[in-house]
Amino acid sequence: MEMTERHQHGEHAEGKATYFYVWGALIVLTVVEIYLAYNRVFPNPLHMLEVLLALSVVKSVLIIGWFMHLKGETIVMKWVLMGSLVMCLLLMFVFFVDAERILKLGTGR
Amino acid sequence: MAEHNEHAGHEHGAPTGFIRKYIFSLDHKVIGLQYYFLALASVFIGMLLSLLMRIHLIWPTAHIPLMGEIKPEMYLTLLTMHGTFMVFFVLTTAPQSGFGNYFLPIQIGAPDMAFPVLNMLSFWTTFVAFLVMIAAFFVEGGAPLHGWTGYAPLSAIPSAGPGETLGADLWIISIAIFCIASLMGALNFITTILDLRCKGMSLMRMPLTCWAWFITAILGLLAFGVLLSAGILLLADRNLGTSFFVPGGLVVNGTQIQHKGGSPLLWQHLFWFFGHPEVYIAILPGMGVASQLLSTFSRKPIFGYKAMVYAIVGIGVLGFFVWGHHMFMSGMSPYSAFAFSLMTMAIGVPSAIKTFNWLGTIWRGRVQFDSPMLFAVGFVSLFVSGGLSGPFLAQPLLDIYLHDTFFVVAHFHLIMGVAAIFGIFAATYYWFPKMFGRMMNEPMAQAHFWLTLIGTYAIFMPMHYEGMAARPRRYSQLTEVAWLQHLMPVEKFVTYAAFITIAAQFIFVFNLFWSMFKGQRATDNPWHSTTLEWTTATPPVHDNFGCKTPVVYHGPYEYSVPGAPNDYVMQTDPTPHGGHVPKEDKPLEAE
Amino acid sequence: MADAVVHHPSEAGAFEPPFLGAYSKKIGMWLFLLSDSLTFGALLFAYSYGRIATTNWPTPFGQHSIINASVMTACLLSSSVTMVLAVLAAGRHDRPWARNWLIATMIFGTAFIVLHAWEWNGLRAEGMTLSIFPAIPHAEATEMGKQASAVPQFAGTFFALTGMHMLHVTIGVIYLGVLAFGRKWLPVMALAAIGTFFIPAWSTFHWLTYPIIGAIVVIGIILWLKPKQYDAPDIEVGGLYWHFVDLVWMFIFPLVYLMSTRIT
Ligand code: HEM
Ligand SMILES: [Cu+2]
Repeated sequence: MEMTERHQHGEHAEGKATYFYVWGALIVLTVVEIYLAYNRVFPNPLHMLEVLLALSVVKSVLIIGWFMHLKGETIVMKWVLMGSLVMCLLLMFVFFVDAERILKLGTGR
Repeated sequence: MAEHNEHAGHEHGAPTGFIRKYIFSLDHKVIGLQYYFLALASVFIGMLLSLLMRIHLIWPTAHIPLMGEIKPEMYLTLLTMHGTFMVFFVLTTAPQSGFGNYFLPIQIGAPDMAFPVLNMLSFWTTFVAFLVMIAAFFVEGGAPLHGWTGYAPLSAIPSAGPGETLGADLWIISIAIFCIASLMGALNFITTILDLRCKGMSLMRMPLTCWAWFITAILGLLAFGVLLSAGILLLADRNLGTSFFVPGGLVVNGTQIQHKGGSPLLWQHLFWFFGHPEVYIAILPGMGVASQLLSTFSRKPIFGYKAMVYAIVGIGVLGFFVWGHHMFMSGMSPYSAFAFSLMTMAIGVPSAIKTFNWLGTIWRGRVQFDSPMLFAVGFVSLFVSGGLSGPFLAQPLLDIYLHDTFFVVAHFHLIMGVAAIFGIFAATYYWFPKMFGRMMNEPMAQAHFWLTLIGTYAIFMPMHYEGMAARPRRYSQLTEVAWLQHLMPVEKFVTYAAFITIAAQFIFVFNLFWSMFKGQRATDNPWHSTTLEWTTATPPVHDNFGCKTPVVYHGPYEYSVPGAPNDYVMQTDPTPHGGHVPKEDKPLEAE
Repeated sequence: MADAVVHHPSEAGAFEPPFLGAYSKKIGMWLFLLSDSLTFGALLFAYSYGRIATTNWPTPFGQHSIINASVMTACLLSSSVTMVLAVLAAGRHDRPWARNWLIATMIFGTAFIVLHAWEWNGLRAEGMTLSIFPAIPHAEATEMGKQASAVPQFAGTFFALTGMHMLHVTIGVIYLGVLAFGRKWLPVMALAAIGTFFIPAWSTFHWLTYPIIGAIVVIGIILWLKPKQYDAPDIEVGGLYWHFVDLVWMFIFPLVYLMSTRIT
């Protein structure tokens, strides 16, 4: 129970304004994404993917850090949660090696 | 007991009424037992199926009562359901959800799990998964044939064979439900360990059983989510007309399949991303139990407690990096195969650390061969025998020959199947007095041990040779195959050994139920162990410690302490050398 | 602290300090979200795998789709703000405002679901559909539908990913409703289930009946076993779930929609 008290003082001290800024930033980033994609600013889909994903990662940092208050949690918690998540997701990139091979199999490339 | 009654009307008191007490109970001990008995039912189903398989392998035309002759498709059905029940409903359920639920809160000094309602829900969700799985036997076409690994495209195409229609759907749904249940269980375990350790129970004072349950829960949390999405996609492939796992241009039973564009390799990646952590989910709790028992029954502190903890953590982490060793033959990129091979061999290091520490623990100990200890030693023996074949399989070049032969069957049965089962037996014999207040019958237990140990070695050791002689895995009729004829005597031997081993299990079940009612009454701490569960009443009261929380002063394995009057120091003993004689430690008077 | 000890405030000091520094329910929710991110992660990886391994992946989404999806995104983002405000209000012990903000969040969430289901209906009518989906009366395939169906994987991944996400949003709205109204929410859900049930069976809206009925059963059991007034920590934990659903959309939106745009 004491835990709840402490955290109410610690984390929400930021006040409402911050949340509206975060919200504004998210909207702006989304608009940028739509602009980039809709106008095909990067003709190469791979570049487009990289840029969009980079922007999405920024957006998720905003959501996780501010809306989900991870910013206010302990260092251990940040590392434990984000570390295991990122590790597992990075591991799955191994799949793609085989996805690309399918295209080349039997073509002599 | 008296203390407990004072609190009868208290919110913390035990619930009354049959349903709240035994069906939708929120008490972790009741839930643990529910899981245990679910696993017991499943192990008998699994064992029956394996017996039928063994019979078919040497007498393919034998007439089985109620079933008739076993057809090749039927053989695959038996195989699939045997693997599924054993892996999911026995090896995942009993050691972790069963014993973990019962003893984890007690061993860390907590009154219950962190989320009792969630705990109850996860048992009943598991139970629903169990019922759905059973239902697969009885629908049109019967149970599926795609093996416990559910490889696509066989599992993704309903017309691929009998059992691949509704049966396969039920199989996938059951697995998906099981995933959800395991997720709920896993997050409950982790939260409990992080937040409900009593004063003094620092992480490095936790019994190794708790460490094992902890890491297992983390593996489950991270792995089952991936299997869940694989299951959803497979279900979509079968029913929604998507094509994640089915390649184009496939002709099945003479008709061309409409799907195109998917890749079976994707299924294998997703499945084994879960699958390899899953094999550690099955074995880690057994390792925890073995550590606890070897220390207790050798009356010696565990050799290298810290190394043991780091080894468990190391196995847990590395376990996520090696799934590709199941796919060397799948057409996976040889570069990834190389990386997976290296990582797989690296995982042998923490495994070896554990093995040597176990040996170090018994070395020069005052070993007492009570039945729990026998099974713990058996566990180590099986772990070593099964583990030695791992590094062979881990090399792509050797695995190309050995993959999908009985060599692999021998490897994983020894290390994952039987070793984990020995862990369950050891835990049962060890904790039975605490759970039911009576001792199990020792002569029966010893007979059970020797028959099972010799029996399982007799079943699985010859399989290595069969595998090297190219006896393929998952094939039904080999009696007619010319180049396997010389293996028939071995096959016969294995089947006879299976008969004897399975018969021996009835000794265990009889002992279990007989001792529950007729066994000799147990004291509160019959094995002179040091951990917290041995300080409670027998069986423990509703909130474990009777409305108070213990305080811990010692590490978990303080045996043969110089100068200690009892030779061991309870974790709750406030004095440094254990001058305190626990007064509960005398026989209970019969009422 | 955890449910289990909450009745013993005097014993709060009887335990080691929590390892991650937060109360148990919050840890539990974070862990759930961790594993759920892997579920979604695996789905997105499966989608990307298919996309890499397939040549000529169609990019059929025109102006109409993109505008619709952008409005949906705005709904979710805004609902996240109202959710934070609900958590803040609950922290001040201001129950009425906590409830009001929860209701606002639920309205945004419902708007998302409605827009999404409506979009599904439209896409299916245009011919981008799966073999199992019932045919939509009087529908005729359009250029967009033909393009999209050239690669069956396209519709498959689209419906699997967005469907899974829509399910999460639906569960989220129901969950927030329980936090806001407790037991009184059950009859409302029952009404909603009846309402969606009478929508024609070909419509995506009709399918919402099944998750709602499932939720009624589970919530009924939970409220029966553990009736309680939901307080500030409960709302904060519910908020975590809600923001997570928002977060997942931040990946689905660019990967599934934006990477499939066509300029008209
Ligand atoms: C020294 C450690 C280990 C190594 C190096 C190792 C290596 C391997 C390899 C390379 C395979 C694939 C063989 C093939 O399919 O061709 C395999 C299969 C298997 N291993 Fe292990 N393993 C180890 C420990 C374990 C443990 C501890 C367990 C279980 C608790 C386990 C359970 C399994 C299972 C179930 C399979 C077969 C799965 C299937 O194809 O159905 N292994 N092992
Ligand atoms: Cu493996």
